[in-house]
Amino acid sequence: MSDALTWLLLAYPLGALLVWLAPRPEAARAVALVAHATGLALAGLALAAFDPGRAGFQLAARAPWIPGLNIHYAVGVDGLSILFLPATALLFLGVTLASWNSVRELPRLYHSLLLLQAGATLGVFCAVDTMLFFLFWELSLVPFYFLVSLWGVGPLRGYAAAKYTLIMFAGGVPLLFGFLVLAFNHAGLGGGLSFDLAELLAMPMSDRQELVVFLLLLAGFAVKMPVFPVHTWLPLLAMEGPVAVMALLAGLKLGAYGLIRFAVPLAPEAAQSLHWLLAGLGTFGLLYGAVAALAQTNLRAMLAYASLSHVGLVLLGIASFNLQGVQGAVLQLVNFTLAAGGLFLLTAFVQRRLGSTDLLALGGAAKTMPLLASFFLFFGLAGMGVPGTSGFPAELLILVSALQTHTGAGLAALFGMVLGAAYFLNLYRRAFLGPVVQPGVAQAVDLQARELALVLVFAALILAFGLYPTPLLEVIRPAAEAWVGRLS
Amino acid sequence: MTELFWNQHAAWPMLATLQLLPLAGASLLLKLGERPLATFLGRAVALAELLLAILLYRLLDSHATGYQFAERLDLAGPLAYHVGADGVTVLFVLLSALIVFLITLYGLVRGLAEPARLLAVTLAIQGVTMSLLSTLNLLWFVLASGVELVLVGHLVRHWADSPERDKAAARFVQFQGVGLAMLLAGTLILGWSHHDTSGTAWTFDLLDLAGRPVPRDLGVVVFFLLFYGLGVRTPIFPLHGWLPTVAQHGSLAVAPALLLGVKLGIYGLVRFVLPLLPEVAAAWYPYVTGFAAAGVFYAALLAFQQVDLRRLMAFAVVSHTSLVVIGLFSLDAVAFQGALLLAANFGLAATAMMLMTGFVYRRTRTTRLDKLGGLFDRIPLIGLTYLVAGLAIVGMPGTPGFDAAHLVLESAIHRFGALPTVAAALGNVAAAGFLLWAFQRAFLAPPPAGRGAAIERAAGMESLIAAALVAVLLWSGFHMGPWLDLVDAPLRALAERFGHV
Repeated sequence: MSDALTWLLLAYPLGALLVWLAPRPEAARAVALVAHATGLALAGLALAAFDPGRAGFQLAARAPWIPGLNIHYAVGVDGLSILFLPATALLFLGVTLASWNSVRELPRLYHSLLLLQAGATLGVFCAVDTMLFFLFWELSLVPFYFLVSLWGVGPLRGYAAAKYTLIMFAGGVPLLFGFLVLAFNHAGLGGGLSFDLAELLAMPMSDRQELVVFLLLLAGFAVKMPVFPVHTWLPLLAMEGPVAVMALLAGLKLGAYGLIRFAVPLAPEAAQSLHWLLAGLGTFGLLYGAVAALAQTNLRAMLAYASLSHVGLVLLGIASFNLQGVQGAVLQLVNFTLAAGGLFLLTAFVQRRLGSTDLLALGGAAKTMPLLASFFLFFGLAGMGVPGTSGFPAELLILVSALQTHTGAGLAALFGMVLGAAYFLNLYRRAFLGPVVQPGVAQAVDLQARELALVLVFAALILAFGLYPTPLLEVIRPAAEAWVGRLS
Repeated sequence: MTELFWNQHAAWPMLATLQLLPLAGASLLLKLGERPLATFLGRAVALAELLLAILLYRLLDSHATGYQFAERLDLAGPLAYHVGADGVTVLFVLLSALIVFLITLYGLVRGLAEPARLLAVTLAIQGVTMSLLSTLNLLWFVLASGVELVLVGHLVRHWADSPERDKAAARFVQFQGVGLAMLLAGTLILGWSHHDTSGTAWTFDLLDLAGRPVPRDLGVVVFFLLFYGLGVRTPIFPLHGWLPTVAQHGSLAVAPALLLGVKLGIYGLVRFVLPLLPEVAAAWYPYVTGFAAAGVFYAALLAFQQVDLRRLMAFAVVSHTSLVVIGLFSLDAVAFQGALLLAANFGLAATAMMLMTGFVYRRTRTTRLDKLGGLFDRIPLIGLTYLVAGLAIVGMPGTPGFDAAHLVLESAIHRFGALPTVAAALGNVAAAGFLLWAFQRAFLAPPPAGRGAAIERAAGMESLIAAALVAVLLWSGFHMGPWLDLVDAPLRALAERFGHV
C-alpha cells in the first residue's frame, strides 16, 4: 500500500494529459470527470488503508529527488492530514461538475488546469519533505493564475490573478527561508542538510532559532490563510475569479493546514510563547471578517469575508494548544471544505442562472428556486455551526478549548458567532426571501439533476458528520495527541 | 590543474571538430547562396553539432578533475591553440548547441530575409562560441571574442526591421569594443606580469598563469579590467546600456538569443578570472555583490516602466544576471554550482522567451505591449511556453531555476547573512511581478481595438519549438541530478582555490 499516495498524486497530472487526447470538448470534460472520480476513489482507498489507531506517518513512500542536497520525494499521511485527501478530491469533483456547462472557452485547458491544481493541492497535504511541500505549494499557484485570469467573471480578473500570484510568491519567500534555516540548523548539529519532516521534528533548537523559524513560517502561512491585514486578495479574487473555482479557495484552507503541520510542531516553544499573537490574530480576524461580511451586498463578497472569519476561528483553536483545540481545528477545516465549498458551488449555480450574485439581481429567489435556496440555508447553517451539522462538534471543541485557555478571546468568538448568524441570515433574507422583482429571478429554473446530486452528497456528509462525528474524531485523535505531546 | 589529451581517451579530436564543423558549414552555405539545399544543409549541420555535443557529454568523465579532450598546437609565440573541456565547458557547449539548433528551426518559420546567409552567420557564431568555450588560452579567448563581436554586430544590423537599427548596431559595437579593449588590456598585463616575475617567455596559457599568482596591487587592476570587460558582455549593471537599444531595434530573437542564451561573460569569469585571481576576488567581493544587488532592483524597477516587450526583456536579463553574479561571488562550491546552473537556466529561459516574442512579432508586427493582447486564445501553447520560461527565471519549483536559486541562496546566507539574501530573493519576486505583468498584457489582456485580421494559429514547427523548450525546462527542472553532477568536480576544484570545500 505504500504506493497509494503516489498513485493518487499521479492520477491527476495523467488525467490532465488525457484531457488533451479526447476527440471532442464534450469528451474532454468526461475524461476530466473520470480522472477526478478516480482520484476520489484512490483517496478513499488511502483512507480505508489508513490505520486510525496509530500516530505517525502512514502509507509513506520515499525516493531520492535531489541527492546532493538530501532532498527527497517523501509522502505520508497521519490523522491530521488524511481526511483532507478525500475532502479535497470530492471538492474538485464538485467544481468540475459545477462548471460542466458554464465553461465554453478553451474547455480542455480549463479541465486540465483544474486537474493539475487538484494534483498540486493533494501534494501539499501528502508531502512530508519540506522542499517537496514547497514544490507543491508553489505549483498550486500556476493553474490557479490561469483559471482566474482566463475564466474569471469580473472585469479586473487579470489584476486579481496577478495580485494573488505575486502576494503568494512573496509569501513563499519567508516560507522557503524558514525551511532553509531548519536545514542549516540540522547541518550545524553535524547531521548534514535535512529537509525531512521527521528528522527536523526530532532536532533540538535554541529558543532564538525556534522564534526565527516560527515567525518565518507564520508569515508564509498567514498570507495564504489569510489573516488580517494580508487578506485583501481574497475578497477581490472572490469577485473577479470564476465562481465555481472560488469554492477551492473558501473550502481548502492550506495556510491553516501548514500552520498545524509545520509551523507549530517544528517550533513548539516559540509557538507557545507566541500564543497571544495567534489567538489575537485569530480573534481579530474572526470579528473583522464578520463585521465586514455584514456590510456586503454580494453573495460572493459575503462568502469571502465569512471565509476570513472562519479561518480566524480555526486559528483560535490552534492557539489553545490542547487536544480539543487541534481536533476542533482539523474538523472545522474539513467542515469548511463541505460547507463553504458547497456554498460557493451553489453561488456558482446562481451566477450561471442570473449572470450575477448581487442582491440587486436577486430577491425572492426562493420562490422560483426552492431547492437551491434550501440547500444554501443548510450549508450556511453548517458554516455557523448549528447543531446537527458537521460544524457543530468542530465549533464546540474550539470554543470549549478557547474558553479554557483564552477566556476573553473565547467570549469574543462567541460574539463572533452571533455576528455570523447576523450577516448570513440578513443576506439570505434579502437574496432569497421576499417578493420576486427581477425578471431573471422569475424565469430561473431550480437545481437540475446533476446539480442536485452534487449538493445532496455534500449535504448528506454534513448531516452524517454532524450527528455522528466520532469516526472523524477517532481518526484525528492519535495524531492530535502526538501534536499536543510535542508541546508539553 | 591537469589535462588529459584527446588521443588518450577519444577516437578523434572532438573539440576541434566541434569548432570546425559549424565554421565549415558556414563557408559552404556562403558558397551555395540562397537556395533550398543551403537552408536544409544549415539545419543538418546544427543538428550534427547538437549530436556531437551530446556525444561529448556522454564521453566526458565528470568525476575527474582537470581538463579532458585537450588539444595543443603552438602558433605564433604566446598565442597558442590550446583547448580542453571539463563539466562546465560541456554544460555550456550543450546549451549553445541546443540554442543554435532551435534558432535554425525558428528561422524556418519566421520567414526572414536571406535565410541561407542568416544560417551561415549563425553557424559561424556558433563555431566561434565553441572556440570561446573550449579554449584555455586567454589571448585566444579575447581575440575570438573580437571575431564574435563583428559577427554578432552584423547580425544585429542586417536582420533588423527597425529604422533605428544603425543606432542599435553602433551602440553595440561601441560598448562591446570598450569591453573588449579592457579585456585585452587586462590580458596583456597578466601576460607581461607572468613574463616579468618568472623570467620565462610570454604566455597566456591558463595552466601557466594559474601556476604563478599575480602580485596583489597589479592583481586588483587586472581583476577589474577583466571583470568589467566581461561585464559589458554579460551584461551587468551598470554596464548594460547597450542591451535595451539592441534588444528593441536590433535583430529580433536571433542575435539576443545567441548573445544572452549562452552567458559567455559568466563563463569567462568562472574559467579565467576566478581561478587566476582568487585573492583579489575574495578581497573585493562585497563591492561586486553590492553593485549586483543594486542591479537586481534597478533593472526590475526599469522593467516595470517599459512599454515594449523587447526592452522589458532586456531589463529582465540585467536583473537576473545580477543574481548570478551574487551567487558567483559567494565564492564556495555550492554557490558556484548554483550560479552556473542558474546562468544556464536563465540562458535557456531567456532564449525561450525571445523566440516566443519572435513568433508574436510575426503575427502582430509590433512588440509594443499596448498593441498586443488577446493572443492566448489563438496561440495558447506559445503563451504557455512564455510563461513557463518566465517561471523558470523566477525560480519556480519544477524548473531548473528553483534548484539553482536554492543553491545560490543557501551559500549567500552563509556569506552575506540572512537579510541581504532575503532582499535578493524579494528582488526575484519583483521579477515575477514584471514578467507576469508582461505576460498578462501581451497574452491575456483584451485585444486592441484596431487589430484587423484574426491572429494566425501556431504552425506545426512553432508548436514543436515551444514544446521542445517546455520539455527541456521541465525535464531538467524535475531531474536536476545529472547537471549538478556534471559541474560538481571542476567547481569543487575552483572552490579549493578559495579555501572552502
